Amino acid sequence: MAEIYIICVEDEPQVLDVIIRDLSALEEVFPIEVAHSADEARVLIREIREDGNHIGLALCDHVMPGDKGVDLMIEMQQDAFTEKTRKVLLTGQAGLEETIEAINNARLNRYIAKPWTPEQLVKVAVDELTTYVIEQEKDLLQYMGVLDQARLQEAIRNKGYI
Amino acid sequence: MQFKKSTLTQHLSKKITGFVLGLTGFCLPLVFTFSGLSFAGHLALGIFLMAAVFWMFETIPIYSTSMLVIFLQVLLLSQQGLMFSGASLPVTQPLQTGENQWLIPPEALDENTVYIAEGEKKSRSLEVKVLEVSDMARVESSQLSSDTQIVSEARHRLVRYEPLGYADFFGTLASPIIILFLGGFILARASVKYNLDKNLTNVLLKPFGQKPMLIVLGLMMVTAVLSAFMSNTATTAMMMTVAIPIALQVSKEDKFRIVLALCIPIAANIGGMATPIGTPPNAIVIANLQQQGIHIAFGSWVALMLPLAVGLLLLAWFTMRILYPPTAKRFTMSLKSSFEKGPRAVILYVVFGLTVLLWFTEAQHGVPSSMVAFLPIMALTVTSVLKQDDIRALPWEVLWLVAGGISLGLSMENTGLAMWLVSSINWEMLPQLMLLLVFGVVALMLSNFLSNTVTATLIVPLAISMGTSGIGGEGFNLVITSLVVGSACNMAMLLPISTPPNAIAMSTGYIKTIDMVKVGIVIGLVGIVCALVLSMLYWPIIL
Repeated sequence: MAEIYIICVEDEPQVLDVIIRDLSALEEVFPIEVAHSADEARVLIREIREDGNHIGLALCDHVMPGDKGVDLMIEMQQDAFTEKTRKVLLTGQAGLEETIEAINNARLNRYIAKPWTPEQLVKVAVDELTTYVIEQEKDLLQYMGVLDQARLQEAIRNKGYI
Repeated sequence: MQFKKSTLTQHLSKKITGFVLGLTGFCLPLVFTFSGLSFAGHLALGIFLMAAVFWMFETIPIYSTSMLVIFLQVLLLSQQGLMFSGASLPVTQPLQTGENQWLIPPEALDENTVYIAEGEKKSRSLEVKVLEVSDMARVESSQLSSDTQIVSEARHRLVRYEPLGYADFFGTLASPIIILFLGGFILARASVKYNLDKNLTNVLLKPFGQKPMLIVLGLMMVTAVLSAFMSNTATTAMMMTVAIPIALQVSKEDKFRIVLALCIPIAANIGGMATPIGTPPNAIVIANLQQQGIHIAFGSWVALMLPLAVGLLLLAWFTMRILYPPTAKRFTMSLKSSFEKGPRAVILYVVFGLTVLLWFTEAQHGVPSSMVAFLPIMALTVTSVLKQDDIRALPWEVLWLVAGGISLGLSMENTGLAMWLVSSINWEMLPQLMLLLVFGVVALMLSNFLSNTVTATLIVPLAISMGTSGIGGEGFNLVITSLVVGSACNMAMLLPISTPPNAIAMSTGYIKTIDMVKVGIVIGLVGIVCALVLSMLYWPIIL
């Protein structure tokens, strides 16, 4: 069965470690993969696609060496494979103009400003992944344990079957 | 990852096993000839075996098995299909040799029965006294005359089988019971769309207060009432959104969470029994009885089943109370209801109320419930309460599943297959009550592993033919036996896979399989006993 990945793109290893630790509760159901730059992220996305898996959530820093986070997200939005991926910008340094660009062209779903609390990050990830599985997946029961139960139940009620 | 791969291979090998077994089942009656079973009965047996295997192994989705069944019936068993379109009965006339004594070809004789042709494709059987069989058979009968058209081949495919037109098989999808269900689906869809189910829940839950076990009783009653009209699955999902906030008020280890997550699927399963539209197995029962010319009104069904449903609800409640006594004293629930007041919502309320009223008063006005069911279908679409998207979102595959079941039942009766299957066992030693018990227990066990609808599809025709063939003996009541089978199908809630509501409850993570098994065993066993008691003491009064 295809897996739904979370990918984190961030150039600072310490920050990356914190993100992974914060999201560890989700990892059992949604495997987490990391990339340190936009280029690494492109390779990662290609690998996930070639294995027949999907990307449910992309958490992305903005200021990185090489291509910026917003550029990567716009690219992902334009690619059919990652179009439905929920996109979260995780940054302290994106200016107004770049943020507007991200919202307009990358259909950015969330913006988390540094510093964040673990609870905030987990809530955003759970919310976004819940939206993703409701839109993309048929069998919602397997996500009941880690995602937003109330919303998943509501989705089942609306469909009338599982 | 390793784990996932092995389950994948298991899954695949289960599919392949199912496929091979299903095809074998289909071919079996084509290779072997079973005595006492007509040619068409052999074909029907092949279809029956293949469908049973595919349904059990879920080789293909269960609704597509139904479509396959209808396809094969149209192809093989219909008047216009491959086997019967060009066929006509070969006939000959008997030769008189003395008073009431006749010479006929030996092939025309089936033990001591000959078949009289009454048209190209229609024959009736006639018992004769066989005097001698050599080149020709000499028989004695007062019913023959020299211009009687007797069928010269007793083994001909048209003997003992009058093929139905293909439209009869297709027609099952528009049979009255399917329309009744469609009406139910339409009402349910509109209720969800305008949040009628949620608001009703909040209103109905209020009187139950804040004490834990009273809340549970309230949740169960409301779930049962809603699931009597809506799908058990949608009801469970909706009620879970009510139960989860309560569960979050106690610690993770508190056993009360188990009760909260368990009470809802149980009540949804039980509630489905209460009305004809509550759950698809009811449709199978009603449709099979309809084929025998027995009509069960909406209100009578409720009168028959309600005591059982209420009894089982209370039983489940007491069982959980004993197994998992609550520790907390009281809970807070936010029960705000805000009924929508737009014109379309109001139309829905009126149509819903009127439909239910008409369903329950069939005895007074005499309009069958299926005709009443077309009122919401018409009214809610004419007024745009439901739009194209809503119509598309209806669970059509459930209707196909039921239609396939009804269609298979048609052929099982019509080809004599069902009668042949039940007559192969010697039932005469069993008293009436034991017969019911056997049918109930078999249905209960199968239904724990298979879809309830599929179980009903496989078993109800057998129960019916016990009655129509007289094998069941004197006093065998078609309706009562079918009701026992139908309710047994709905009482199966032992495992997470038994019903979709159970799967939903399991996914919350609040309960373990063993919790479900404990309560499920009590309901299943006591439930069967209750059904038998009702079948002896109460149902005969209503019928």
